[in-house]
Amino acid sequence: MPLKLGLIGPQVDDMAQTIARLSPEHDRFLTEAQDLLRGLNADALREKLRWQQNQQMRLPWLVAMPRGSLSGTVTSPAPPVDFSVVGCDASSIPPDRHSSVRCYVLNVGYAFLTYGRRPSAVLEAQSQLCFRDQDLYVFPDRRDVPIEGALLGARMEVETLRVLQGVMENGARPALILRDGPLILWTLQSESKEVQRALLRDLFGSMDRLREAGVPLAGYISYTNSRDLANSLRVWLCLTQPNKCEHCQSEKRDLCMALAKMHDRELLGFLTEGERSELFGSSSQILEEYGDHRVEFFYLNVGGEIVRVEVPQWVGSDATLLEFVHAAINDQCRRSPCFPPYPPALLEAHEQAVITTVERRLVEEIIDRAVGRQGQRLVRSAKDDSKRRRGV
Amino acid sequence: MSENRLGVVVDGTFNGGLTVRLEPGVSSEQLRIGNFVVVEGQRNRYFSLIADIQLKAADIRLLADPPRDNSPFVARALAGTSTYATAEVKPMLMLEKVSLPQTGVLDKSTLDALFAEGSGPQPVRTIPMHFAELREATELDFATVFGQEGGTNFAMGTPLAMDIPICLRLDRFVERSNGVFGQSGTGKSFLARLVISGIIKTRVAVNLIFDMHDEYSFDKQTEDGRFVKGLRQIFGSQVLIYSLDEEMGRRSGRNVDVTLKIGLNQIEEADIVLLSEELNLRQTAEATIGLLRDAFRERWLLRLLEMTPEELEAFSATSGAHPASVASLQRNLKRLQRQGYIEREQDFSALDDLVQALDRGKHVILQFGRYNSVLDYVLVSNLVTRRVRQRYEERTRRYEETQAASDKPRPLIITIEEAHKFLNPAVARQTTFGIIAREMRKYNVTLLVIDQRPSSIDPEVMSQLGTRVSGKLTEERDIEAVLTGVGNRSALRGALESLDTRQQILIMGHAVPMPIMMRTRPYDEEFYRAMGPQVPGGGVMDLRDLFEEQ
Amino acid sequence: MRIGEIIETTSSGFVAESFELNRPPALGSLVLVRLPDETALYGAVTYGQTAGVDPSRRAVRRSTDVVFDGAIYEQHPELEHILRTEFGVALVGFVAAGRLRHHLPARPPPLHFSVQGVSREEVCYFTDGLLYFRLLLIPYGDVPPQQVLAANVRWVYEQRGHDDIWLDTAAREIATLLKNDSAALLTVLYAIDPGDVPMLREQGGVA
Repeated sequence: MPLKLGLIGPQVDDMAQTIARLSPEHDRFLTEAQDLLRGLNADALREKLRWQQNQQMRLPWLVAMPRGSLSGTVTSPAPPVDFSVVGCDASSIPPDRHSSVRCYVLNVGYAFLTYGRRPSAVLEAQSQLCFRDQDLYVFPDRRDVPIEGALLGARMEVETLRVLQGVMENGARPALILRDGPLILWTLQSESKEVQRALLRDLFGSMDRLREAGVPLAGYISYTNSRDLANSLRVWLCLTQPNKCEHCQSEKRDLCMALAKMHDRELLGFLTEGERSELFGSSSQILEEYGDHRVEFFYLNVGGEIVRVEVPQWVGSDATLLEFVHAAINDQCRRSPCFPPYPPALLEAHEQAVITTVERRLVEEIIDRAVGRQGQRLVRSAKDDSKRRRGV
Repeated sequence: MSENRLGVVVDGTFNGGLTVRLEPGVSSEQLRIGNFVVVEGQRNRYFSLIADIQLKAADIRLLADPPRDNSPFVARALAGTSTYATAEVKPMLMLEKVSLPQTGVLDKSTLDALFAEGSGPQPVRTIPMHFAELREATELDFATVFGQEGGTNFAMGTPLAMDIPICLRLDRFVERSNGVFGQSGTGKSFLARLVISGIIKTRVAVNLIFDMHDEYSFDKQTEDGRFVKGLRQIFGSQVLIYSLDEEMGRRSGRNVDVTLKIGLNQIEEADIVLLSEELNLRQTAEATIGLLRDAFRERWLLRLLEMTPEELEAFSATSGAHPASVASLQRNLKRLQRQGYIEREQDFSALDDLVQALDRGKHVILQFGRYNSVLDYVLVSNLVTRRVRQRYEERTRRYEETQAASDKPRPLIITIEEAHKFLNPAVARQTTFGIIAREMRKYNVTLLVIDQRPSSIDPEVMSQLGTRVSGKLTEERDIEAVLTGVGNRSALRGALESLDTRQQILIMGHAVPMPIMMRTRPYDEEFYRAMGPQVPGGGVMDLRDLFEEQ
Repeated sequence: MRIGEIIETTSSGFVAESFELNRPPALGSLVLVRLPDETALYGAVTYGQTAGVDPSRRAVRRSTDVVFDGAIYEQHPELEHILRTEFGVALVGFVAAGRLRHHLPARPPPLHFSVQGVSREEVCYFTDGLLYFRLLLIPYGDVPPQQVLAANVRWVYEQRGHDDIWLDTAAREIATLLKNDSAALLTVLYAIDPGDVPMLREQGGVA
């Protein structure tokens, strides 16, 4: 309420005008960048990137390692006659820091949509209350590293795949598991290796199972802000060290600066509807722990926007699975009533996963009462109390 | 609830009548103004007439925007619910229900018993409560009100939609003067024939009929080519035929019993004045006649007609009469002389014989033959009637003195057509007929007036007519005239207007318990048989038979 | 023949979810709820609607030039699960202990109980008397009660094998009930007039 909209308004106008003024320049650089992309030798770039990675200093940016060519496109194959797409999503009621009882709720939602001659749908959610030590701590034996924040996010991923793995035992094939968001858990980057491995172990267990079952897994990132490929181009252009830009004497400096603001989805704007780019590898550090499940990605024009699709390398290197993923995602987007399109499987999975405010309060109440019945008093913090009442 | 239920009473006043809401299934078209209907109250049964019919709607917006397209389904649904009809019903007579037999068995003894107790239909004294049922009248209802055929109950016709007889009570009929009305073409002469036949058959009175158009005596061809019998053919020697026309009397098959002559000496001043218009008399005529009478007494007419121009002058000089007036009077009155039945002098024996025949129970029809102009008709009828009435007056006085049964004069009914000639307001006071009408039955003489312009008859005379039998009338003033002095005029007005031109009549008054519409009885073979044994041949009678005591 | 389950219930009627998506029972048709004590509550369908299970999710256009109408449901199998069809029912009477009454029951039907269709014999039995029309004229839902009444009359007419005598009696009863509102009355009468419209007879008068 105290936000002074009146002051911000004119500043917004200012910004809009600046953008408009700079736009033609940006377009010129974009064209130049795309030309660069098309003309660049993929092998040469791979060389330079590897060389750069072997340097002592890590690259300050994420770069895309092309598996094939840089500007190659792949048209969409037709999907099989009968197939399924399983969208999944998860949400949680995080542990209440203002309560004396430690627990949290996970809700995994999935939408199992089957198309073809016998269309059907299963929309379900599995909810779980986590209160035991093995749920609350990364290292339950020593009650160390409480699971919350980013760790809770990772825990949700693990739980999601565990549930999906169970679902896929029904044998419906071919099927694609589609995840809203990245497969690369870069949020774990700042954790210790010990924590990372502990959390990822179960994740990879589920992924192994899926791989054995022949069920591909993909992450769908809408309105991707990735600049991996743009960064790769910058590395290519750089004559010295990346991030020593203030000393740069290169004639391509302006282009490089422009690339610094460019997004991959702009660069790949030449993709037509249904086309995907070739595969790229990610330089995300966490992927070092992924082993066989190292994640690759491609960009895809779904008609209305260009999205980033991440897949484990066992999908990326299997032509059949990769084709299936490409075709299934296109098919999903064709069925979407929105614009830009969004896979219905993900939409419904999200609907299944979401926990409303009312539901959150309800859970709190249930917990309160149950605890109360056992003779325990539930103590809330003062801050929490003041937030609840919001008096004047 | 009876099967022929028409509706229920929803409103009403004693003076104004009852409002009946018709049943949903009953269409307004099922009712007729003037229909005889019955309202069943809790204690009383009300014999009534339909006086008015109205259409209503529960929501007047429906009338502003009626349903489009003639869907019979929608009409059926609306009929009687959103749209409905009401009837204004006027009770005429009421009957206390306690006195009724339990079953509907109709027999003479039951009804006789009913009437004997004096508990037959009474004048209306109250009204029924809400939701009393209105239903059509049944045979029993008609019999209850109008009695059964027999005795002096004479069947005049049947209800419009039923086949039971409705009777005129001739005993009451002859207690007053009566009228038969209807616009031309409605068969008034047939009606008259029916009534007169009834009177002859039941012997409640004797008839003297002034038959202007020779309709009553012998066979006559009707409009549609049939031949109907005359009263002579039906009743034979009970009926005497007098005629003014000698030649006519000689035609075969149409025997006239007596040819009547009229003497100039028999014509009185009043007769002439009555004929002012026909004779084209001046206004001074009356005064002139007065002077002539002063001079010549009863022979004034004879003398006038025989006067030479010089004698005329002389008379004018002496009496103070205006010569031109006298001359003009003479001229005009010479017309009378020229009539074939006029003699110079006649005595009254023929007329007295006529009265004697009536006394013996004969009925007399005076035919006019070729002398059927208005002049002849008015002159002779008035003159003859004057004499007859005079004789009756004498007889009645004598009877009053002696009180002997043998002296009692038979009630006489004199039938005149074109009655307005005798009874219009201008002359009603002067004609014998006017006098008879006003006297009522003082001297046992009453009138049966037949006319198509009742509005031309003096209202006072009209109000003296006890029973009125009317065919269709359309002129407002004629309808008003017929209804003079009658109660429940509004109900009856509608009834009169709604009659068919042929065979439908309304009878109201003294001889019926309540006004009733009916279809007249046909005047045909069945009727002739009902009136008595047939007369063989063409009606040739032995004179002795004719003058024998009946 | 269970056709739905009660999801809202009040003294004058209830809302049920239909088992078949997009096919609630016909407007005006009779349905019944059987109580544990064998009482059968009768009601008439006053409206039907189909929308997202989640009221915050509104339907969006899904058809293309090639895929439309029924094919949409094949293309989007999740629709069966995220849409639901409801119908509203106004209570019009009940049969308890062998006696038929045309007034509201003492209590509303229990939540979550099944809603069933009604057999022809039951329809004929229930509609021999027309007192229940008065209950139908009380608004329940957005559809004007005259339309509901008209739909009911057409449906019953057909269930009774085109009983013209019943139809005439019904029309007159309606004329009596609506005699002070000729506009409403004519609306109903036009809607139930079998007339000479063959289409109405073939369809059984039910849209």
